[in-house]
Amino acid sequence: MGAIDLSDVTVRRANELIREYGAGGEDVDILNPDARHHIGVGLTDDITVRIKGSAGYFCAGLTDGPRFEIESNVGWGLADNMYNGSVVVGGNASAIPGVAIRGAEVVIKGNMGSRAGQVMKDGTLACAGNANFMAGYMMYGGRIVILGKSGERVGEDMTGGTIYVGGEIQTLGTDAKLVDMADEERDSILEFLDRYELPFNGTFKKIVNAGERLRYATAEPRTRPIPFFNFSGASDYWNPKIQEDIYVKSQVGRYRIRGYGGARAVPHLSDIVFKKDISNAGGDPDVISRVAMATEIGGDLGAKPLTLSMPVMVSPMSFGALSRSTKIAVAKASAMSGISENTGEGGLMDAQREAADQLIFQCLSGRLGWNVHDMQRADALEIYISQGAKPGFGGQLMAKKVTKEIARIRGIPEGIDLRSPSRHPDVLGADDLVIKIEEFREATGYRIPVGLKLGAGRVTDDIKIALKDGFDFVELDGMQGSTGAGPADVMEHVGIPTIAAIQEALDALVDIGRAGEIQIVLMGGIKDGVDALKALALGADAVGMGTSVIIAGGCIACMQCHVGTCVVGIATQDPEHEKRYNIDREAENIHRFFEGVRWQLATLTAALGYDDVRKVSRDDLAALTPEAAEITRLPYMPELRARDSQLNDGVRIV
Amino acid sequence: MCGIAGIMYKDSDERFGLGKALIDMLDGCQHRGPDSTGFALYADIEKGRYGLRFFIGEGAESTASIARIQRTLAEQGATLVDEELIGENYRVEVEFDGDIQAFAYAMEHAAKLWSLGTSLDIVKDVGGAHDVDDRYDVRNHNGSHGIGHVRLATESDVKPEASHPFWATGFSDVAIVHNGQITNYWKMRRRLEAREFEFRTDNDSELIAVYLADKMAQGVPLKEALKTSIDDLDGTFSFLVSTKDEIGYAKDRLAAKPMVMYENDDLVAIASEEVSLNRLFPGQALDTTEPPPGTYGTWARSI
Repeated sequence: MGAIDLSDVTVRRANELIREYGAGGEDVDILNPDARHHIGVGLTDDITVRIKGSAGYFCAGLTDGPRFEIESNVGWGLADNMYNGSVVVGGNASAIPGVAIRGAEVVIKGNMGSRAGQVMKDGTLACAGNANFMAGYMMYGGRIVILGKSGERVGEDMTGGTIYVGGEIQTLGTDAKLVDMADEERDSILEFLDRYELPFNGTFKKIVNAGERLRYATAEPRTRPIPFFNFSGASDYWNPKIQEDIYVKSQVGRYRIRGYGGARAVPHLSDIVFKKDISNAGGDPDVISRVAMATEIGGDLGAKPLTLSMPVMVSPMSFGALSRSTKIAVAKASAMSGISENTGEGGLMDAQREAADQLIFQCLSGRLGWNVHDMQRADALEIYISQGAKPGFGGQLMAKKVTKEIARIRGIPEGIDLRSPSRHPDVLGADDLVIKIEEFREATGYRIPVGLKLGAGRVTDDIKIALKDGFDFVELDGMQGSTGAGPADVMEHVGIPTIAAIQEALDALVDIGRAGEIQIVLMGGIKDGVDALKALALGADAVGMGTSVIIAGGCIACMQCHVGTCVVGIATQDPEHEKRYNIDREAENIHRFFEGVRWQLATLTAALGYDDVRKVSRDDLAALTPEAAEITRLPYMPELRARDSQLNDGVRIV
Repeated sequence: MCGIAGIMYKDSDERFGLGKALIDMLDGCQHRGPDSTGFALYADIEKGRYGLRFFIGEGAESTASIARIQRTLAEQGATLVDEELIGENYRVEVEFDGDIQAFAYAMEHAAKLWSLGTSLDIVKDVGGAHDVDDRYDVRNHNGSHGIGHVRLATESDVKPEASHPFWATGFSDVAIVHNGQITNYWKMRRRLEAREFEFRTDNDSELIAVYLADKMAQGVPLKEALKTSIDDLDGTFSFLVSTKDEIGYAKDRLAAKPMVMYENDDLVAIASEEVSLNRLFPGQALDTTEPPPGTYGTWARSI
């Protein structure tokens, strides 16, 4: 048996040593832990780790297999996301113990803090003392056993799983109810308690989901798709879409859910133009070899960066919102074009990992599909705080798309209208976020970049936090970004436009004297290489493309992504519909689109007189509208509008 | 977006290593806020005197500030009995027996006034706990109790004057450190401004300090003022407030911000994270408790 003294080594070094003991199958004692954070994070070996004292935040987090014994207390987020294995705490646990566990046995001999077992998927969380506020908040599965008092609002918005309370139930949470329990259930709990030497002679009260909020009370009616170009109509007032919208709202009595992004016209990259006359661009067949555009993202702080053949990424889109076939096709196309793919919210698939050369793995508030093994095989990680289409909201996936397979990979019950939490359980401020990022770095040995996905709202403040908290890059998503499902009113009216987002971000960094210290990947309505180059010229380090990638792969832009019966097999989980999607053909199509983007970037850069996309700057740009000029402080030159339409006719690949 | 810490020694007869204890605790949670660090340190000064600490900047600016401070002191009828220039701070002790609130407002119009009190001294600046200690010799501050703060600037600038702790502007010996965000800030501030209270900053923490100090000035005990603060303040918060004789805490109903405490025969310590408490007792597992959501409490010196 080994021993590590934390008064001599850092937690980072200690975790390396713990993994070495793990590889050798040797148990280890941790001496003088003094409530330090991240002890044992990322361990995936079947050993016992004994912590001789108190541990801090995320003890035993992101693990699979080990047994942890902590003599005294633990901080926030005990056993975060733990798969198999066990954790026994001799003292008290602070807030959110057992957060997002997926099978582990977590036992607390003292009391436990608020929101115990938040978004847990499977396993057992047991507490011999009292629980605090909102135990079982938004849990999806597994069981929580509380021998003392339940705390206020126990089972708040739980979706699945069971809570057993031995002591007093203080108050029940929303959509939770008391039910009778079978003798076998009691036997199973007593067997569990016996194994952990927790004697109990009382009776249990059983709490489950009351089933009143799992699905919207009324489904969205099926409507005839109105094509995207008709969507905003000739009039902002009484066009056919508005009319339909009112009909539907009069039936369902709530906001509407739909796919795609906002259709309202807001200032965008199309309101910005290159000043120089480049109408003769496009004559050089070898232009791509003459313009440098390879870009590294995320390497500034020492992680291994993503190496992109051009400053373009695929935006995060989930398996769930999109079909398996679509995700594979996009992954293949990204590899063919030498850029990165992104998992979005729904977890990481083997086939996607295999197809993509470079894959970003996204962590959302519901921790759906999130796990240590996939983190360790990703090329970058990303914490989703919000997205441009619906800043302040979590993901939404309507019941039709929550199939057995999707439910399994996400660790949730099948067939619910999935509304992911809008906040991370363990990130309630910039201070917590620092500790969360560190947990990810510990779990991946500081090898890969950790980015932030940020919907554009209060960019001025948020970008400073992103920089100070130590992210490797930020994906900044303007309100023109799309989504698989979201409240229509939010998509149209919440957030700020993409060009405003980048300008605010750059200004904020200048304001604190830290310009250029964090890489920004701009996304939200970037449809081609022309937009991409304008975004780069404004100051982005790279761009993300999502909607345009889907359209390149056959999407007809009917805006019915949320319904789950996508006619081209993209935004569906129905095998009959998915059959219509030909992976290899669509991968080729998407790849050709990416190569078109590359050619546009090269051609325009060369026409502007440069040999590197990074040399194009805001000095090359002008604004066509007073609004765009106001937002970006570019010169207002409406006389260039005629030239812009020439450019569109001449250079775009259709 | 920050970390907070507080400590109170139970035996008021001794002079304790207050500064060093707070430095250790704040260094322990510096990851929560690397931008600035500050201390509110309590040690009684000679009876009948007030201590005032000003931020005066450097060079010509500082000379002008000192001249303005001395002139205003004279105008207000305060007698300067001691003065000290440390880094960018100017600390004076004065004899004064008039209206403290009017005096305080006059003094802070003269220069940036960090703190005023018969035992309170606020030391704060950009940088980490050890940086501030290097500049202002916090280590050798002894005293009965104190609170401290590490800050990650989100909405306001990284400047000495945006650092915590905040003094309850106009009220002797009241200071606050706060982790969180008060969302009904402007509503609360306008109410207080309508009653002619002045605010030095747009920081929500200063508002909490003035809110509590106002209650106490009306004769409401600190504990009672903390109770009403939980009803009156919206948002996320865990804060510590200190007076000449007490330290109090309050925590919002959602328990969005952490707080953990430890008490033994000699002292009471409270911090955002247990790791800070453990800095005082290396190698020991502490029997700590965590205040539940929506709770408050106080400790008083055994005088």
